[in-house]
Amino acid sequence: MSDHRSPELQVRLFASLREQLGWGEKRIPFPEGDQVTALAVWDALQLGPWPSGVRVAVNQQFVARDQRLEVDDELAFLPPFSGG
Amino acid sequence: MMNLPFCLRSVVVNHSLFDHCVQVEVRPEPFSPWSELERWSPADAALAMFVGRVRGKSVDGAPLQALELEHYPGMTEARIAEEAEVAMASCGACSALVLHRVGRLNPGEVIVLVAVAADRRGPAQSCCASLLEALKHDAPIWKREWCRDLGSWLEGNTPR
Repeated sequence: MSDHRSPELQVRLFASLREQLGWGEKRIPFPEGDQVTALAVWDALQLGPWPSGVRVAVNQQFVARDQRLEVDDELAFLPPFSGG
Repeated sequence: MMNLPFCLRSVVVNHSLFDHCVQVEVRPEPFSPWSELERWSPADAALAMFVGRVRGKSVDGAPLQALELEHYPGMTEARIAEEAEVAMASCGACSALVLHRVGRLNPGEVIVLVAVAADRRGPAQSCCASLLEALKHDAPIWKREWCRDLGSWLEGNTPR
């Protein structure tokens, strides 16, 4: 049986970013374009200027914010860590 | 990206690579580091450990009501386990135990236990220190201080 789902991306926000932007997790349509990156998604979601110290994870691995994304990736924007 | 074999059981990650044994766990409930150390109890000659607890004051010096800890489930455990493997290989240590709290903690409660076993004190102590620093900088965990019913997220770590 063929899968007719539209291509999507899972986006997650944590801690201060989640509270500033008012949501923690959502599935969004996969943006159009040849080079879909975390930075492009940030801009497409109109999340404002890139905050200092924010890191990016794709499928729970750190990546550069200009790494190309794939359909169904889990993209997370991570504010500076303070554990331990 | 190194492909590490590990089994994920709830919030526990057990790594076993290069004859190292790593146990990582993120817990929402309080724990006693002393009981956990007794339970862990590796046979190696040297054990080094660090226990981190909640301060009674905020970074601004105000009396602290509580400390809230949030994490990225799955990624936190995997990152700490990978950092432990790197630190143990680099320092020559044999096994590591990392327990980290999440949720709302009161002043004085234990936040983190890092314990490392090795054949000698040098590798045990250096691995424990380096694993703690790696955890602080690379594990997706966030703290929010609560003072006078107001919460503020911490941006980064306290000095060593």
